[in-house]
Amino acid sequence: MSDLIVVEHVGKRYQTSSGPIEALHDVSLAVGAGEFCTVIGPSGCGKSTLLGMLGGLVTADGGRVLVDGRPVSAPDPRRVATVFQEAGLFPWRTALENVEFGLELQGVPRERRRAVATELLGPLGLRDFAAKYPRELSGGMRQRVAIGRALAIDTQIILMDEPFGALDEQTRLLMGEWLLEIWRRTRKTVVFVTHSLHEALALSTRVVVMTARPGRIKRVLELPMPYPRAMESAEMVGLRATLWGEIRDESLRAMGER
Amino acid sequence: MSRDTLRVRLLQIVSVVALLAIWEGVARLGWVDPLFVPAPSAVVGAFGRIGRSALAGLGDTLLKTAVAYVLSVVLGVALGVAIGSVRALREVLSPFVIAVYGMPKILVLPWIVLILGFGTAPAIVYGTIHGLFPILVLVMGGVRDVDRTLVTVARAFGASTWQLYWKVLLPAIVPTVLAGMRLGIVFCLLGVLIVEMFAGVRGMGYVMGSLANGFQAPELFAATALVSAASIAIVLGLDALNDRLSHWRG
Amino acid sequence: MRVRLLRAAILAVFLLAWEGVARAANPLLYVPPSAVLPALRRLLALDSYPDLLPSVLLTLREIAVAYALAIAAGLGCGFALGLNRVIGRAYAPIVGALYAVPAVVWYPSLMLFFGLDAASKIAFGFLLGFFPITLAVLAGIRQVNPHMLAVARAFGARPLTVFVKVMIPAMMFTLVGGLRTGLALSVIGVIVGEILGSKAGMGALINHAYGLFRTADYVALVVVTLVLIVGSDAVAGLVERRAERWSD
Repeated sequence: MSDLIVVEHVGKRYQTSSGPIEALHDVSLAVGAGEFCTVIGPSGCGKSTLLGMLGGLVTADGGRVLVDGRPVSAPDPRRVATVFQEAGLFPWRTALENVEFGLELQGVPRERRRAVATELLGPLGLRDFAAKYPRELSGGMRQRVAIGRALAIDTQIILMDEPFGALDEQTRLLMGEWLLEIWRRTRKTVVFVTHSLHEALALSTRVVVMTARPGRIKRVLELPMPYPRAMESAEMVGLRATLWGEIRDESLRAMGER
Repeated sequence: MSRDTLRVRLLQIVSVVALLAIWEGVARLGWVDPLFVPAPSAVVGAFGRIGRSALAGLGDTLLKTAVAYVLSVVLGVALGVAIGSVRALREVLSPFVIAVYGMPKILVLPWIVLILGFGTAPAIVYGTIHGLFPILVLVMGGVRDVDRTLVTVARAFGASTWQLYWKVLLPAIVPTVLAGMRLGIVFCLLGVLIVEMFAGVRGMGYVMGSLANGFQAPELFAATALVSAASIAIVLGLDALNDRLSHWRG
Repeated sequence: MRVRLLRAAILAVFLLAWEGVARAANPLLYVPPSAVLPALRRLLALDSYPDLLPSVLLTLREIAVAYALAIAAGLGCGFALGLNRVIGRAYAPIVGALYAVPAVVWYPSLMLFFGLDAASKIAFGFLLGFFPITLAVLAGIRQVNPHMLAVARAFGARPLTVFVKVMIPAMMFTLVGGLRTGLALSVIGVIVGEILGSKAGMGALINHAYGLFRTADYVALVVVTLVLIVGSDAVAGLVERRAERWSD
């Protein structure tokens, strides 16, 4: 099976007021269909930039980004959906209308949109909140709506940029379990950016560790273990130590201590 | 009604009644020249006398204001969205817009009257100019302040430029447009009245100017009260409309 | 840099277009830019209007008095309404309602009462400047953190001290903003008053030029008035920036 997402030798340079910044340097990556691939690394390592490239929102300087064999030049809502850290819900739309948004953009007729969105609300746990506005929803609920919005357009790939970053720890844990459930049921390909070691280990089939700026791929860990993961097992504890070992240096470097 | 609200209402009513009573008393006692300060009773009587012409004048003014208002809202929102959403335009044109906005428009009024003559045209043109700029500046600011994340999200879901404007930008600036409309009506009315006072042949401004020149104090007070009441009613109406349309904001 | 060039270009194109159109259509009526400079020179040399200086001074005096009155009444009313809850709740809505009325409706009554002299312009300028100042005081008081006041009182400060040393600095920024708006509006009020009918002052000169179709002189007078207005607002801006530094 050829890989669904292929990144070959991409780089990205930004011009800032204090001079050029190299966000990514010679990054290559491949993600197969049905994988849950987590990208983890210190702040400023370019993980969001990388995700932006996969989503067609950021253009690479050099190298190629291929999705389903095709080069990415612009957002492709038929293949890729994105979930951002700030839920980015439209405050003038109800939860249901927000979930429908992607379908609306694609010209799906009203009856069908409504049906698809309403059906999604069940697994999202939001059936009673369909007519509520974002300001009436908690942070966790808003993210669920955002994820629902991404699921509604039924793409093969879902990109998530620290979707649980703004939530408290307990909500994060619950959302992680819930996301795993959804992923296993829908068999989508997920690229998931996070800071959290726990999320990387509990959720992914593969973890990609990035270095501090300029971001490179430092290490790729395969996690073939079954779900749900026993996080206290010797194997997982060992993996956690390994993962932290890889990241710690980079985090320190990002903080400017080395 | 809570005790506090009761006290507040009482205070308001008592003050107004007391004010009117004192005013009436002072006028009757001859402490003020009735030529300049008419008694409230005289003002009430004057309502009847000027009733017809004042209402006709008010109607005329409101008609011109309505036309000027529609023009300034449409132009203000259209230009505001156009200039505000294209960064190049915004950067280059902002200082010009702000400069013209800050300039007292009355200074160009004589010129407008010289070009357009007396009557309805200058009133509508000037009223439009008066209302246009506050709305324009407000909408420009509103467009600039639209949450960037919403635009990114829409683009990520494949929104075309048209869809970005129609489904993201316009709904996002509705509160700003409503605020602008609330502001604009007072400015338009103000502009129209000014023109009527300066070079009018019709309308409330002209009526009030004539009454002032003729030293008809009770009639003038009555006319002033009439226009004020109309203006307050319009603004309250717009406020109610604003509330109805903003339910999602909380 | 490019932005500045573009702006200059736009300005140049605008002036050229104006020059062209004005000359082609009716130079007397539309006053091409080339006619403005000589008119300005004539004006500043006191040729076209020997009364220029006294007029400017009169207008400035009217503005000063109107503004001073607006500050006094605005601060007084603002604090009276803002510090006493019942009075505030009773009368603040009335002030708000009056603010919704286009100020110019009061002007004929003022003209009736005060005549065409400076007094009516001062009264009108006062009326216009009064509202933003009052509303700014009310807004400023409302945004003061009650916590700060409670802390001050807990330390035994007397009401007057709390007022002067805690409340005023906390609302300084809003207050100064309101004072600046008040000045701008007082200026507009005086000028509108003069243009709508007066015997002396800048507005009267403008009216005079307009009435005699001396359009070039009219434009020159407008330019001078604009300089005055921009100048006063610039001064107010400086004061505002000083206050900004202070309140932070």
